[in-house]
Amino acid sequence: MQTFNPLPDKPAPAQTVGITGWLKNNLFSSPLNSLATIVVAAILIKVLPAMIDWLFISANWSGATQDDCTKDGACWVFVSAWSQQFFYGSYPDEEIWRVNLCLAMLVAIITASLRVKKELREKVFIPLFLLLPFISIAILDGSYLGLVQVDTDYWGGFSLNVLLAAASIIVAFPLGFLWALGRRSHMPLARTISIGFIEFFRGVPVLALFFMGSVMLPLFFPEGTNVDKLLRVWIVLVFFMSGYMAEVYRGGFNAIPAGQYEAADSLGLSYWQKTLLIILPQVIKISMPNILATFVMLFKNTTFLLIIGIFEMLSTTQTALSNSHWLGGHAEEGYLFVALVFWVCCFSMSMMASAIERKLNTDHKN
Amino acid sequence: MTTQTNNTPSDDVIIIQNLNKWYGNFHVLKDINLTVRKGEKIVVCGPSGSGKSTMIRCINRLEEFQQGSLVVDGIEMIEDVKNIEAIRRDVGMVFQHFNLFPHLSILENLCLGPIWVQKKPKAEAEAIAMKYLERVKIPEQASKFPGQLSGGQQQRVAIARSLCMNPNIMLFDEPTSALDPEMIKEVLDVMIELAEEGMTMICVTHEMGFAKKVADRVIFMDAGEIVEENTPHEFFDNPQVDRTQKFLQQILNH
Ligand SMILES: Nc1ncnc2c1ncn2[C@@H]1O[C@H](COP(=O)(O)OP(=O)(O)OP(=O)(O)O)[C@@H](O)[C@H]1O
Ligand SMILES: [Mg+2]
Repeated sequence: MQTFNPLPDKPAPAQTVGITGWLKNNLFSSPLNSLATIVVAAILIKVLPAMIDWLFISANWSGATQDDCTKDGACWVFVSAWSQQFFYGSYPDEEIWRVNLCLAMLVAIITASLRVKKELREKVFIPLFLLLPFISIAILDGSYLGLVQVDTDYWGGFSLNVLLAAASIIVAFPLGFLWALGRRSHMPLARTISIGFIEFFRGVPVLALFFMGSVMLPLFFPEGTNVDKLLRVWIVLVFFMSGYMAEVYRGGFNAIPAGQYEAADSLGLSYWQKTLLIILPQVIKISMPNILATFVMLFKNTTFLLIIGIFEMLSTTQTALSNSHWLGGHAEEGYLFVALVFWVCCFSMSMMASAIERKLNTDHKN
Repeated sequence: MTTQTNNTPSDDVIIIQNLNKWYGNFHVLKDINLTVRKGEKIVVCGPSGSGKSTMIRCINRLEEFQQGSLVVDGIEMIEDVKNIEAIRRDVGMVFQHFNLFPHLSILENLCLGPIWVQKKPKAEAEAIAMKYLERVKIPEQASKFPGQLSGGQQQRVAIARSLCMNPNIMLFDEPTSALDPEMIKEVLDVMIELAEEGMTMICVTHEMGFAKKVADRVIFMDAGEIVEENTPHEFFDNPQVDRTQKFLQQILNH
């Protein structure tokens, strides 16, 4: 009988692997590509040294006032001197622990809920997560807890961007799901109202919504009540986000096979049991990458709040720039820093979204 | 569950009378009449698109119908959520594509009905679930997720999930046609066992061996009608209608 001997593996041709292979495939694969590579390289060689010099080599790193910026590079002293303002706005020094506590709770609850057992997550962490905006408000304001009251006028900086975005999306989570359910409903009234709401908040620019929130929302409150500006902004953001979340959920709903509904029905589950036990968990799982992408968008949009006078990070930066002790023109440093902080946050969330997506893709295969 | 042998009229657990259904203008079920006695096993066959699925899905109201009457276990199917849910609690259904809930473990899939519909305590529900997992011979898979099981195992879990609700009637819609040949037998064996225990079953299938072995009656459908209804012996060896003959030739000769 013949025996089968597999051929030995040979190394791949040198042009397709290794550094030369990579260069050839990615940078010099065609004449046009080679030309583009050369042009870009030439520009980088011209621009990069000056940029690096300004950013790092001739930059001023230590000191406390504008006068410490003697070299002609970037004045990073500006950023370090204002860092507390950038992150916490005018929140009183001795109370900043409360802001940190809220941020820490946010991070802790999210990380913990990804790790603990399903039972614990559903019974403890998800309710805690949904209550977090209200707990945070109580802590930051303080008056309900017997702490020193800190008026919302003092809240600000990057922590406000984070907390406001988080508080909005957390409430928009369930609300958006209700809108999405309404949109799928067989009741014409519920469907019409849901579609109207979703399309309104998705169709109007967020800036216009903020202005409408400042001007129009007070009309819906009883006369004479003075509703906090930040609260109004929060309501607008929650509505805005729930419109987007409804749309994200819609994609998730469409990905669920009809057989899931039929199996739930044939077991005799009621509409709400079916929706909450069978459909909701699967919709959320499928929608997770899109939920994160939507959150990134919302998070960046919170910088628009500077226009209606909320002291989020971008507007504290502008305040710092117009401070009489710092009139030396530090706009580049200030805006670069804001950009960097937002970019780091958004980029990590995008990475997280693609990691989740990859995980979901492999989950589906087995 | 005991085997029923006496066939008095009160033993009729499903009574379908002049049932008509349309999808828009498409008349999908035409004057369906069918009575099923307690403990009876009915096999439904027919060409694709003949309305087999639609008919059995009317029985637990996954599909609504426009004309006729349908009584299941003495409960009349009418436009009433209470009645529909009562019927669904009595009728188990197994689907071609298993339709297990992918986000729940096998045990959770099985406990869902007992806990949420029958309001049983968790421990009791789990005991029931394990009992039926043992009956379909895969108790060791309880903590896995549906995606980790083979098709045959998933279908057996789906059968166990229905049985956990302690149904009086089981509907099967082509339970083996999405399975690889080597898995068909393990599912059919479970179904045969169930039949021998006296469960009332309506089963859409083209597994003729199964039909010959367990069916009391075979029903042949075409174009939304029941064309022929007979004992398996008569049905296969001596079909009365030319359409049935042609169909049998097609499925037996290929
Ligand atoms: N939701 C629907 N809307 C319109 N027509 C439908 C719908 N569902 C089924 N039909 C049509 O009704 C007819 C009967 O469908 P049914 O699924 O009951 O057939 P079947 O006998 O089960 O076929 P198969 O062997 O392919 O499962 C088919 O012609 C099908 O195209
Ligand atoms: Mg079918």
